[in-house]
Amino acid sequence: MNYGKRPRNPLSKRLWKDIVRDWKRYIMIFLMLVVTIGFVSGMYVANNSMMTTIENNKDLLKLEDGNFEVSETLDAPAVKAIESGEKADVVSVFKQRAYKEAESEIKESVDEAVREKVEEQVRTAIHNKVESEVDKQLAPLAANGGAVPEDMRQKAIDDAFDAAIESSFDDAVSEAFEEAVISDEYKDTLADVTEKAKKEIDKKINEEYGELSDRFELDDDSFKSVPVRLYPLFCHECDESIGQQSTGRIRIYAERNEVDLYDLLDGRAPENENEIIIDRMHADNAQIEIGDTLKVGTTEFTVTGFAAFVDYSTLYENNNDTMFDALTFDVGMTTNDGFDRIKGNTHYKYAFVYNEKPKDTYEEKTFSDNFLKALITQTAVADSEPEITDYIPCYANHAVTFAPNDMGSDKSMGGVLLYILTAVLAFVFAVTISSALEKESTVIGTLRSLGYTKGELIRYYMSAPMIVIFVSAIVGNILGYTVFKKIVVAMYYNSYSLPTYKTIWTPDAFVRTTIVPIILMFVINLAIITRTLKLSPLRFLRRDLKNVKRSKAVRLPRWSFLKRFRLRVFIQNLPNYAMLFVGICFIMLLLSMAVGMPSTLKFYQDSVTDMMFANEQVILTSTEDKDGNEITTNTKGAEKFSIGSLDLRTDSFTEEVSVYGINKSSNYIKLDDELFGNADRDMTLVYISKAYSEKYNVHEGDTITLSEQYEHKDYTWKVYGVYDYSAGVAVFMPNDTFNEVFDRDEKDFSGYMSDESVTDIDEEYIAARLTSDDITKLARQLDHSMGSYMLYFQYVCVIVACIIIYLLTKIIIEKNEVSIAMTKILGYTDKEIASLYLITTGVVVLISELAALVIGYKTMEFFWKTIMMKLGGWFDFVMLPSGFVKEFLLVFAAYVIIAAIDFVRIKRVPKTLALKNVE
Amino acid sequence: MDKNFLEIRGLKRTFGSGDTKQEVLRGIDFSVSKGEFCVLLGPSGSGKSTLLNILGGIDSADSGEIIINGDKLADLDEKALTNYRRRHLGYVFQMYNLIPNLNVKENIETGAYLSEKPLDIDELLQILGLFEHRYKLPNQLSGGQQQRVSIGRAIVKNPDILLCDEPTGALDYTTSKEILQLIEQVNQKYGNTVIMVTHNEAIRNMADHIVKLRDGVIRSDIVNTSKISACELEW
Repeated sequence: MNYGKRPRNPLSKRLWKDIVRDWKRYIMIFLMLVVTIGFVSGMYVANNSMMTTIENNKDLLKLEDGNFEVSETLDAPAVKAIESGEKADVVSVFKQRAYKEAESEIKESVDEAVREKVEEQVRTAIHNKVESEVDKQLAPLAANGGAVPEDMRQKAIDDAFDAAIESSFDDAVSEAFEEAVISDEYKDTLADVTEKAKKEIDKKINEEYGELSDRFELDDDSFKSVPVRLYPLFCHECDESIGQQSTGRIRIYAERNEVDLYDLLDGRAPENENEIIIDRMHADNAQIEIGDTLKVGTTEFTVTGFAAFVDYSTLYENNNDTMFDALTFDVGMTTNDGFDRIKGNTHYKYAFVYNEKPKDTYEEKTFSDNFLKALITQTAVADSEPEITDYIPCYANHAVTFAPNDMGSDKSMGGVLLYILTAVLAFVFAVTISSALEKESTVIGTLRSLGYTKGELIRYYMSAPMIVIFVSAIVGNILGYTVFKKIVVAMYYNSYSLPTYKTIWTPDAFVRTTIVPIILMFVINLAIITRTLKLSPLRFLRRDLKNVKRSKAVRLPRWSFLKRFRLRVFIQNLPNYAMLFVGICFIMLLLSMAVGMPSTLKFYQDSVTDMMFANEQVILTSTEDKDGNEITTNTKGAEKFSIGSLDLRTDSFTEEVSVYGINKSSNYIKLDDELFGNADRDMTLVYISKAYSEKYNVHEGDTITLSEQYEHKDYTWKVYGVYDYSAGVAVFMPNDTFNEVFDRDEKDFSGYMSDESVTDIDEEYIAARLTSDDITKLARQLDHSMGSYMLYFQYVCVIVACIIIYLLTKIIIEKNEVSIAMTKILGYTDKEIASLYLITTGVVVLISELAALVIGYKTMEFFWKTIMMKLGGWFDFVMLPSGFVKEFLLVFAAYVIIAAIDFVRIKRVPKTLALKNVE
Repeated sequence: MDKNFLEIRGLKRTFGSGDTKQEVLRGIDFSVSKGEFCVLLGPSGSGKSTLLNILGGIDSADSGEIIINGDKLADLDEKALTNYRRRHLGYVFQMYNLIPNLNVKENIETGAYLSEKPLDIDELLQILGLFEHRYKLPNQLSGGQQQRVSIGRAIVKNPDILLCDEPTGALDYTTSKEILQLIEQVNQKYGNTVIMVTHNEAIRNMADHIVKLRDGVIRSDIVNTSKISACELEW
C-alpha cells in the first residue's frame, strides 16, 4: 500500500471555481458594493478633505475674526485706539468737547449782553448830558421872558445827541465795556451761566450715553479689553459686465497681503493696474474666461485668474441675505493701483484679528461683544467721528460659515444612504447564501459524513462573500478616493467658492464604508450559515433543511392547469418571493427618497405662503428714530410684534427657535385671552407651533426649556397649547410677557407683521424683512444641496432594482432548472415555460410594488423625521400621486428588463439537466 | 481477525410520535470483525439504512450501544463524532454527491485532505480505473464512473470502516458488478471493514457476513462460508 501527501484543502480550489462559475451573481453584488462603498467613501473623503482644507485655510490664509465698515477712513490714532480693544471714556470726552464748545459760546453771549447793556448806559448818559447842556444854553433865553417852544428844545437836544453819538459813542462804549468785563459782576455772571450750561450738557450727554449704553451694554462689568489688529479692507461695489452683457455686481478689494488671503485656482494674480482676479464660482456661472475684459463700473480690467477668497466660500452679498447668489454677485481683487483707478462708491471696511484667539464659540461671542463695545466707543470719540455702518463677527458671517455647515448636513444624509444600501446588500447576501446552502445540501451532507467539521464548512461558505465584500471595499475605497471623490467635490465646487483641497486620509470613511459593511456581512453570513450547518449531516443528505415541514400539499382551487401550475411555483418559491418583496420594499424606500424629497421641497416652497401667519415680518434696528419718535407704519393691517431666538438643545442638534411676542388684539396670531391675564403663575404659559410639537413630540401641559444662544441662561415655560403653524419651530407668548421675560421695556417691540408689504419705514431702521423666502430657506438649502443628486439617485434605484430582481429571480430559476428541463422534455415551448415562471414573478412584483409603495412611503416618513431632527426647521414628507406612479413605473421597468434576461436564461436551460440529475 | 471490532448491542430507533410513531430499529445486536465484508440485507423500510447511519455517526439511536474498537459511540459528543468519522469512516451513498465543479482528482482530494496519511491518489485512480478521467468534471462521467469517484473519495483516507449505502442502487447490472468488484478489491487490498446496505439478495454471496433485517429486527446473522467473487454474482 502506497501513501501520498495530504493535499491542500480542495475546498480552497473550489472556492475560486465557485466564484468563476457564479461570476454573474458575484459581479452584480461586487458592482453594487463597489458603487455604494465608492460613492459614500468618496463623499466622506471629499467632505472631510474639503472641511479640513477650509479649517486649515483659516490659519493659512489668515481668515479675519470679523470685519466692520465705517463711514470714512480711520485716522492713525483711531486705529491705534480701536486696536487696543479698550473702551473709550465716551462721557468724559464728549463732555470736554461740549464744555469747550460751550465756554466760547457762553463768553460770546455774555459779552454780547454786557455790550448791549453798556451801550444802553452810554447812550442814556450822553442823552442826559446833551439835554442838560441844551437846557443850560436855553436858560438865559427863558430868563429874558422869551419862552422856547418845546419842539425847538427837543430838536436842539436831538441834534446835539446825534452829534455827540457820532463823535464819542464808540470810545465811550469801549471804555465802559472794558471796565465792565473786569468787574466782579461780569465774572460772576459768566461763571453762573457756564455752570448752568455745563449742567445742561451733563444732563444731555448722560441721557444720550445712557441710551447707547443700554443698547450695547457698554457699562457691563464683565467687559474685558480685546486687543486686535486692524487691516484696511477697502472695497468698491460696482456693476460688472462683459462687453455689453451685465454679469451682476462685483465687490472689488485692493491687494490682500496680510489678511483674508485667497487661493488662486487658475491663472495668476494681478500684476498691474489693469488686471483683476475674480471669484471662480461666479466666473463659472457667468462664463467669464481668463483674458476677458471685465468692465467694473466704468473701468476696464483684464481677468488674469480665478480665486477662492477665504472670507467668501459662499457668495453672500450681504450677511442679512437669506440665500447666497453666485450668479449675480462677484468678488474680485486688483493691485492697489488698479483699485485706485475705480471711481466712487468706496466702502471703508476693516478686518480685525484678535491678538489672542478665543478658545471656543462662547468665548468667541464674548470677544466679539466686547470688541464691539470698544469699537463703538472708540469710533465715537475719534476726532473724525466716523459712523459704524456694518459689523460682522466671523462666526456669524454666512459667507464664511454657510458652506461648511451645509457640507456637514450632506454628510449626515450620506450616512443614511449608506445604512439603507448596506442593509439592502446584506439582505441580498443572506438570500444568496441561503440559496447556495440549499442547493449544495447533499454535498454538505456528504462532506460532513466524511468528517469535515462544521468550522471547515463555515469557513468555506463564508469565504466567497467575505472575499467579495473585502475586494469590493478595497476597490470601492480606491474609487472613493479617486473617481467618486472627484464627483462629490465637483458637486461642492458647483455650489461654493471653495479652495484647492488636499485629499486626506479619512478614518471615518474607512470605518463606515469598509469596517462596518465587512462586519455586517460577516455577522449576517455567519448567522445564516451557522444556523443552517447546525443541522445533522443526515438532514443535509435528505435535503431536509426546513425546520417547519408541510404535512400536506396545499389544495388549490379548480383553476386552469396553467394557473394552478403558476400557483404551485408561487407556493414552492414562497421564501424567495418573500425576499423579493423585501427587496422591492427596500427599493421603494430608496425611490421614496429620490422621488419624494424633491416633491416635498417643492410642495413646501409652493405652499409656504399659505402656512405663514403674515406675508411679511419687518424687524427694526430700533423702535425709535433719530428724533426719539416711535417708528410707525401706515401699512394696512400692520401690527406690532416682538421676536427673538433661543436655542433648543438636544443631544444631537441645537435648534434655533423663534420666540414671538404677540399683542392681544392681533389679527394674525390669536392667542387665548387666558394668557393675557395678570394672574400670578409659577411658570410662563406659551403656545408652541405645530412644527415644534411634531418635531419634538411636545404637547399641551408639557414644559419646554430653551437657552440663550451664547449665554448660559435657560428659560423654562409651560405649553398652554399648540398653535397651527407648520412653517417653523416657534414659541408664541403675549408681548407683555415677552418683554418681561427678556427684561425689556414694558411697551417694547421688535417690528411689524403685515400681509401687505411695509414700504413707509426708512430702510435704515429695518434690520430684516422675513418673507416666505426666509421661511423656505431650509427647503431651498436642501433642494440646492441634494436636489441635483436625486435625479441620479432615481437612476441608481432602477439599477439597484434590476440587480436585486436579477439576483432573486436567478435563484428561483436555478431552483427550478430541473423542472424547467423536464417541462421542455414534455413538449412545452420556451414561451409557455417562461410564462409559467415569469408571470408568477411578474404578479408577485406587481403586488409587492403596490404594498411596497405604502411601506416605502411610511418608512421614508420616519427617516425624514430623523433627518429633520438634525436640521433646523420642520416640515412633513410629501409624496404627490404622480410620485407614486413614477416609483411604480420605474420598478416595473426594472422588472421588464430582468424578465427579458430571465427569458433568455429559461431558454438556455438544457433538457439533459432533467435526465442527468436523477436525484 | 478481531472478531469484536464493531459491536452493536440492543440498538433501538423510533421516528415520529403518537399516531405516526414508527419503530425502525427494535433492538439490534450483532458484531463485525475487522476487515470483514458485511452486508446488511433487507427490503425497503427494514431499518438497514437507519442502522448504517447510526453506525456512521450521522444519526443517533434511542437506546443501545455501538462499540468500535473498544470506544462507545454514545459517549462521543458532536465534535468527537465528527472526528470519529474523519479518522475511521468512509461513506459511499447511492447518490454520488460529488462536488460538481471539482474534477475527479479534486473530488478524491476532498477525502484525502481529511487524513494525515492518505493513500497515493494516482495509484488509487489507477485502481479505480479513473486515471485517464482524472481531470474530468462529474457531469462528464457516467453514473458508474461517478460512483467510482465517490468510492475513491471514501477510501483515499484509508478508513477503518467503509460504509456503503446501496452503492449500486442507481446503476445498471454491469456497472453495479464493476462497482462491487471495486469494493471487493478495496476490501482485500486495504483491509478495510466494509459494511454495505443493499436490498439486492445476490450481493450477499460476496460477503463474509450477512445480517438480514426485516421490520427493524435481525432475522438472520450468518457467516458466509461459500463466499464467491463479485464478478461471479448474477441477478
